Amino acid sequence: MEPAEVEFLAEKELVTIVPNFSLDRIHLIGGDLGPFNPGLPVEVPVWLAINLKQRQKCRLIPPEWMDVGKLEEIRDQERKEDTFTPMPSPYYMELTKLLLNYASDNIPRADEIRTLVKDTWDTRMAKLRLSADSFVRQQEAHAKPFQALAQLLQQFCTDTNAHHNPGQGENRSKNPESSLVRRENQHRSCYKARLHPSQAPQHGEG
Amino acid sequence: MFVSDCRREFYDLIVTQRVLLLVASDVDALCACKILQALFQCDHVQYTLVPVAGWQELETAFLEHKDQFKYFVLINCGANVDLLEILQPEEDTYFFVCDSHRPINVVNVYNDTQIKLLVKQEDDLDVPAYDDIFRDEEEEEEEEEDSEKESDGSEPLEKRRRFEEEVIERTMKRRQRREWEARRREILFDYEQYEYHGTSSAMVMFDLAWVMSKDLNDMLWWAIVGLTDQWVQDKITQMKYVTDIGILQRHVSRHNHRNEDEENSLSIDCMRIAFEYDLRLALYQHWSLYESLCNTCYTSASLKLWSVQGQKRLQEFLADMGLPLKQVKQKFNSMDMSLKENLREMIEESANKFGMKDLRVQTFSIHFGFKNKFSASDIVYATTSLMENIEKEGPETTNFIKALDSLSRGNLDKLHQGLDLAKKQLRAIQQTVASCICTNLVISQGPFLYCSLMEGTPDVKLFSKPVSLCLLSKYLLKSFVCSTKNKRCKLLPLVMAAPMDVEQGTVIMVGIPPETESSDKKNFFGRAFEKAAESTSSRTLHNHFQMSIIELKTEDRSKFLDALISLLS
Repeated sequence: MEPAEVEFLAEKELVTIVPNFSLDRIHLIGGDLGPFNPGLPVEVPVWLAINLKQRQKCRLIPPEWMDVGKLEEIRDQERKEDTFTPMPSPYYMELTKLLLNYASDNIPRADEIRTLVKDTWDTRMAKLRLSADSFVRQQEAHAKPFQALAQLLQQFCTDTNAHHNPGQGENRSKNPESSLVRRENQHRSCYKARLHPSQAPQHGEG
Repeated sequence: MFVSDCRREFYDLIVTQRVLLLVASDVDALCACKILQALFQCDHVQYTLVPVAGWQELETAFLEHKDQFKYFVLINCGANVDLLEILQPEEDTYFFVCDSHRPINVVNVYNDTQIKLLVKQEDDLDVPAYDDIFRDEEEEEEEEEDSEKESDGSEPLEKRRRFEEEVIERTMKRRQRREWEARRREILFDYEQYEYHGTSSAMVMFDLAWVMSKDLNDMLWWAIVGLTDQWVQDKITQMKYVTDIGILQRHVSRHNHRNEDEENSLSIDCMRIAFEYDLRLALYQHWSLYESLCNTCYTSASLKLWSVQGQKRLQEFLADMGLPLKQVKQKFNSMDMSLKENLREMIEESANKFGMKDLRVQTFSIHFGFKNKFSASDIVYATTSLMENIEKEGPETTNFIKALDSLSRGNLDKLHQGLDLAKKQLRAIQQTVASCICTNLVISQGPFLYCSLMEGTPDVKLFSKPVSLCLLSKYLLKSFVCSTKNKRCKLLPLVMAAPMDVEQGTVIMVGIPPETESSDKKNFFGRAFEKAAESTSSRTLHNHFQMSIIELKTEDRSKFLDALISLLS
């Protein structure tokens, strides 16, 4: 997906604003919005909130999770765990960027928030890189962080593993990159020990 | 007609219409235009922006667009001339004029329907009363006709007596009429004799935004830049400047008080405006302190830096402050922190010893992000030099649009380009001033001083633009006043001429009022130039919105000057 597409989808999330004008309910294709009364908070999609803010017609209220304490907790939690932890919103990165660009005067301690979200993002990117790297190297059926994806791939694994496993052992020795590719079973156990000594592998043992 | 409620009588009318914005070419107009554009964008008003540099361009733009628009907004142009006569508009077109040029033409003031003036009424306008200038001419004619008809139907004796009475009445009326006309001419002459400037248009637009509660920090900054432009170009008195700074200071503290609170302070990227009692040195934070001292009019004139003795005095001045020469010649940002900490107080103390009492001035500065700090006068110099850039990079209006863009915070590269151009311009001005004074090019013609730049002078092309030439002439006058010993010459105004277009053989001429401590900045050269041109039938072009700037053919220069001398002595 292009960044512009992702941003477009993120802008459908709802955020609270305090308008300074009054307007009756408006009926849009995506749903109904309003009514708008000056001084009373109302929930609108982010695209409308940003537009109104630029025209000086409202004041944005940051979402609950956009708070220094909460974000610090989230960041620390992310650093402790080896896999992804649940994020407050599926579009937390896009929302942070949009809200801090256009409405940073309505968000207290905006600089710290930006740093914390960036830290969390960096941690998650590092995990992604690490697991993708080992996924490729060890030709695993799935990489650990993607728990949800694992469920999906499990079906494929049980089908393909049976075919590939016997063949792989012969080819590996002739493979020029054989020094980098180690035997599957050996590494599966080593890998397990490194990351999750307790967690049992989720795909078929073959 | 004066608009009393800006919001109801101006903004609410145009919010649903398409509007044509005609904007003059000076920084104050640019700032007012920016504020108005921001308001239009909030309310989705459709508008067309046309930059105009003079009356001819104003007329052409009007003729081009008069079929499509009914509402015209004129910024910093149009108040001092009879608009209806020049433009000949239809009955249903409306003009909103936001102009700092004074005196406002009486027709514009007393027209009730088509011309609305967005001007603060507290400005001392001294507009003559309606009855003194306008008289119902139809009444007079009717009376005369009636009296003639009556005299036809009656007896000869009575007829004769009545006829005599009527003749007496008529002569009395005619005499009264002549007296009234003479008085009217005198009043109008007094009113229109001196040109001066009123409140900055950017401040008027900011007031409009404030009344609508749509004022932002950005708009406040543009209002500050507009006011500072008037001060840099010496268009308003010191008193007025200080009063207006006080007004803006209230707005600044209202918008920017959150910075003191540690808990809820704004992101570093948000713009903050701060009031400063800053040094009067041009661009000193983007240049080295030494260069800035050399190229600022105030210091260069007081220390007389065109002479060798002056250079020595500059070294003494720096030594007095304890600033090593090496440090002072470095870029300001790289100077030692220990020197920069108390710089302002140190400079003020030493400056007092050297006779420069007003080295510090009340102004505002803006900062956003970690790197960007600008003072209001920096922006004024940068924008002026961008607007009057002699390098043609495209169609006529690119310079105007570039200068307009540089006022937005997102276009820092244009602003930096403007700062570089401004440095070149200031250096060129100082060098020209130094050469003029050393070669005694400023001569007294009797009622005024005169200086003319020759074609081969370096950087003379920079001075073919009106604002740059005005700046040059003001600096020249200040330096001349400091350098001359003749007491009478110190009180004379200055007329400056520079070649404008070599192929067409035109010269641009500027007249500025004398340089005194308590001058009220009133300029009589506008009318004087007009009269001199008429009497000698010289080929002149009074195109600029300020009447004291004209273009004329090089051949007619000497006879024009002679006429001017005889007119003013």
